[in-house]
Amino acid sequence: MLGFLTARQAGLDDPLRLRRAESTRRVLNLELNHDRDVDRIHSNGINTIDIEVIEGRYMLSGGADGVVVVYDLENNSRKSQYTCKAVGTVGRSSRYAHRFSVETVQWYPHDTGMFVSSSFDKTMKVWDTETLKPAEVFQFEGNVYCHHMSPIARKHSLIAGVCVTSSHSHRGEVLSVRWSPRYEHILATASTDSRVLVWDVRRASGSLFSLDQHNGDKSKASSEAVNTAHNGRVNGLCFTVDGLYLLTMGTDDRMRLWNSANGKNTLVNYGKVSNESRKGLKITVSRSCSPEFVFVPCGSSVAVYTLHTGELVTMLRGHYNNVDCCQFHPDYQELYSGGKDCNILAWVPAVRPPDVEEEGTAAKVEILAQQEQLKHVWGVVIRRRSLFSF
Amino acid sequence: MSVMNRKRALISDTFKVNKRRVGNGKQFGAVNNGEAGPLDVKATLQDLMTLFPRKLFNDALPQIVLKHQLYSVHNDRTQVDRQLSDLREQGELLMFQLGFDAEAFGLVFAADYKTKVLAGEEGRGTRGTVEKFMDKVLPSCNDMSFNKDKMLKEFLFTDSEITQLVKSGVLTVRDAGSWWLSIPNSGRFTKYLIQGRKAVLGMVKKSKYNEVLKAELEERQTNSQVKFQIKYHIHDIIGAELVECIPTTSGTLLRCVDY
Repeated sequence: MLGFLTARQAGLDDPLRLRRAESTRRVLNLELNHDRDVDRIHSNGINTIDIEVIEGRYMLSGGADGVVVVYDLENNSRKSQYTCKAVGTVGRSSRYAHRFSVETVQWYPHDTGMFVSSSFDKTMKVWDTETLKPAEVFQFEGNVYCHHMSPIARKHSLIAGVCVTSSHSHRGEVLSVRWSPRYEHILATASTDSRVLVWDVRRASGSLFSLDQHNGDKSKASSEAVNTAHNGRVNGLCFTVDGLYLLTMGTDDRMRLWNSANGKNTLVNYGKVSNESRKGLKITVSRSCSPEFVFVPCGSSVAVYTLHTGELVTMLRGHYNNVDCCQFHPDYQELYSGGKDCNILAWVPAVRPPDVEEEGTAAKVEILAQQEQLKHVWGVVIRRRSLFSF
Repeated sequence: MSVMNRKRALISDTFKVNKRRVGNGKQFGAVNNGEAGPLDVKATLQDLMTLFPRKLFNDALPQIVLKHQLYSVHNDRTQVDRQLSDLREQGELLMFQLGFDAEAFGLVFAADYKTKVLAGEEGRGTRGTVEKFMDKVLPSCNDMSFNKDKMLKEFLFTDSEITQLVKSGVLTVRDAGSWWLSIPNSGRFTKYLIQGRKAVLGMVKKSKYNEVLKAELEERQTNSQVKFQIKYHIHDIIGAELVECIPTTSGTLLRCVDY
């Protein structure tokens, strides 16, 4: 690490290298933190979490009880022991709350004044964050499993919401939908008929292409499995941050990495990624690390794989029941995961143990406090740097 | 020039992404013999082939290794897959769909396959067609299955010749109008493999806490259900992830993964 710092100071290395190196080190050190807690509001499983992209300060969560909660993640108290408080809740008592389980929540990508939630009560609601009242309600004919708003779209503000009967090309329920973070017209959908289709919204005639796990090599599959992305339901979908690759998760216990431009299977072998979920699973990818990591909820733990080599880095254990969703906080390299045990756990990079040069506990406590402050400052420094490094 | 030798280390090297394993701390017990030097899939294949029981089938079958047995020796699956596809492109290795599992693929060295199949065809009427198939199709085509169009037009086989190939066991029916490439008389192999796999898994399950040390399992006496060497089955169940491999201070521990 000192090597990277001196190289950066002397101008031998690009500023980005130091940032990437430190981000990677922090991700490799993720662990459950005793000091960080998230308020426990949900009384039933948590289905979805979303962290807003503008400041990275507020987090939304949607649960199986139809409750939507907004949390403040920023630690303004000077203490290291911190509970992320809920700043707003759309509880069961609110007359605008969803009647059934909330499947997906997402912040409006351009500011935190608005967020969208979709649920099994066949509605999708657009909420005003200040008043926590829905500004708009969309009715669907079937259960809405997933919705997504494009994070980069300037020309359109389409919300892609999918339910059972809306699509002609999928023969089963569509469990997941994602916009590409690179091209604002490209959309990918994953469904229970084992296929993943990539669409261009400007083209009305149909999907662009379907992802084929055997890359067109028809001889490898049995005849029913030709042109499918997985040998089972596809329930997880995620683009990498640069939009060049697409990750899919299927109930055949496999995860596949695809080249999003031509739909080819990159054949990275992650081994058996256990997946027993009946509905969508939310996987997430790290950002600005080298190598990139993918976080997959796997039973009651979160598995961390290296994106391009398929190696299992570690399993994050801590939940008491199945994990349904996880979200990576890119500025602080933290992971938040929520599951059926109604807890949201925060996985924070472990601080390096202090070099105890002085004797006595007083010195130790002081060093630890300094470390905490340093950690907070260092995280902010990395974030601020990011604004200037490009 | 030694001055210019200041190598820019890769960020991933600095953190040795390999270091973090399931659990924490250093790797102990599970010493991987495949890790020394670059990954050599061919050498591992040859090692695993020696575990195959030739006498059991009266030497009629070529030595078969399952693709996932390689995963139990080497950690990096993507690299193993890449090297395997290279070997297949070069025509040295053949891959077969074994039929009992969508993911179970059998690997046989091409030369081995040819000799054994032709030896099996001695004195039979279908020999000529089989030889023609071996010479024409195998060197040029890497596929695991063939459909009717391809056989008739590209390789110019007639319908009766295709029937002969199916009779001899080189092709097995996949569905109407398409066939898998297969190993003749491999039905017994599949039967024994599944039987033995079940028996070995049962041995692990019956152990206390559903786990057993790998070294101890290798020493155990097998019952009549297990026809192959137990090491063959152990590689099979580890590679297919039917058991979890946990490094301990006394060696690798195999724990049953129950669903």
